[in-house]
Amino acid sequence: MLSKFDYYRPDSLEKGLTYLQNHSDTKILAGGTDLMLLLRNNAVICEHILDIKDIPETKILEYTPGKGLFIGASIPVNRIAEEDVIREKYPALCHAADSLGSYLVRNRATLVGNICHASPGADTSAPLLVYDAKVHIASSEGIRILNLPDFFTGVKKTAVKENEIVLGVSLPDVEFGDTSIYLRKARIKGHDLCNVGLAMRLTASKEVYVALAAVEPIPLRLTELEKSLATKELNPELGPWIQEEIKKYMNPRRGSLRSSREFRLHIGGVLAKRGLLELIEKGATEYVQS
Amino acid sequence: MCNHNHDEKNNCFEYVESHMPPMPLSLVVNGEMVHELADPTMTLLNFLRTRLKLFGAKEGCGEGECGACTIIMDGRTVTSCLILALEAQGSNITTVEGLSKDGELSILQQEFIRDDGLQCGFCTPGMLMSARNLLDRNPNPTVEEVKEGLAGNFCRCTGYQPIIDAVLSAAKREREELK
Repeated sequence: MLSKFDYYRPDSLEKGLTYLQNHSDTKILAGGTDLMLLLRNNAVICEHILDIKDIPETKILEYTPGKGLFIGASIPVNRIAEEDVIREKYPALCHAADSLGSYLVRNRATLVGNICHASPGADTSAPLLVYDAKVHIASSEGIRILNLPDFFTGVKKTAVKENEIVLGVSLPDVEFGDTSIYLRKARIKGHDLCNVGLAMRLTASKEVYVALAAVEPIPLRLTELEKSLATKELNPELGPWIQEEIKKYMNPRRGSLRSSREFRLHIGGVLAKRGLLELIEKGATEYVQS
Repeated sequence: MCNHNHDEKNNCFEYVESHMPPMPLSLVVNGEMVHELADPTMTLLNFLRTRLKLFGAKEGCGEGECGACTIIMDGRTVTSCLILALEAQGSNITTVEGLSKDGELSILQQEFIRDDGLQCGFCTPGMLMSARNLLDRNPNPTVEEVKEGLAGNFCRCTGYQPIIDAVLSAAKREREELK
């Protein structure tokens, strides 16, 4: 490791933000499963490491009826996967949390770290998109709240500035009867990056939301597809239709290491069909136009 | 951590001190309180191997992929190559050296030997820690659950089957001992 850094672990947000203000070239550490790798390979060189795991705001994992769910930046992915209320209310998030990396990695990796690293294939990004997640970002000027689509700005790029700390993500509350699913296709059954990750949500008012990970430079919410779905009657016959329709809204790049463009398009279709049929089975079969 | 320059992305097994001011570190390792000074750039794995001379956890890939450096930290299995030593401040750590008691191997270790769950032995400490944690969470796992529980630990020798057998027979023996 070429980086020669010092390590600071503040116990309050104020101390952390002050440290950020006074020390340029600081990297923020929560789970560290991405950062340590970059440091080791000298892809990142920094002078200071700010460990946010003791900041109280980042340790919150709480569901409040009527308000929704807040996941702090220090919460490891496995804690999300183990939480019964999340499994019940936000099933797609649990499925994604269950499939990220290996069990060992999930014990350290954080959900917020996963979106801050902003890899196109971040597993947790697609479920967060269908739940209209918001990212809470703190700086010395206060806390700003960003919608998740505005948070991702490119491959491994986010809207977070040098002097800011992401405190966590919040998801609005869901009504009874709201269900969702996360499906992914990887090269192997064990732990692997996904070729396509698809999150689909069926709301209580029978609207379908769809989001994709690993297909484009940033995770994508397919709002146009959702609009055309809204004009259709929700029944199992929609399966073949969505299998073809979703391909119109996908633009995977050529020359990817993990899979060809054609394969991604095909898999996207297969997952969309599978997801829709499973959601219909879970939810009601009669579609009420919103 | 090595001192390779930017062009060389190869990892090597030599730890190089950064000469940053060392910081105090206190933690419990295998039931014993440890007070040491640690270099801020040192990983927990480096710390265990170089400072505490606990050579059980191995550096395989150094990237959290292979599981050879698995230890149990505050009740959860983690890859110690991806953790800074200073992050472990105040934590409670168990390494493979802490599995045996009074010089006697634990049931899990005995079953690994009995079922030939190891050949070269490089992955074994990590495997044992993942298996120990799995059995603590789930004393009666199915074959699928064992596979899932050990999914982050690679073995290039055994083909995994003897390891799975060892974990299942250890689970059975441990349940019988509890009766």
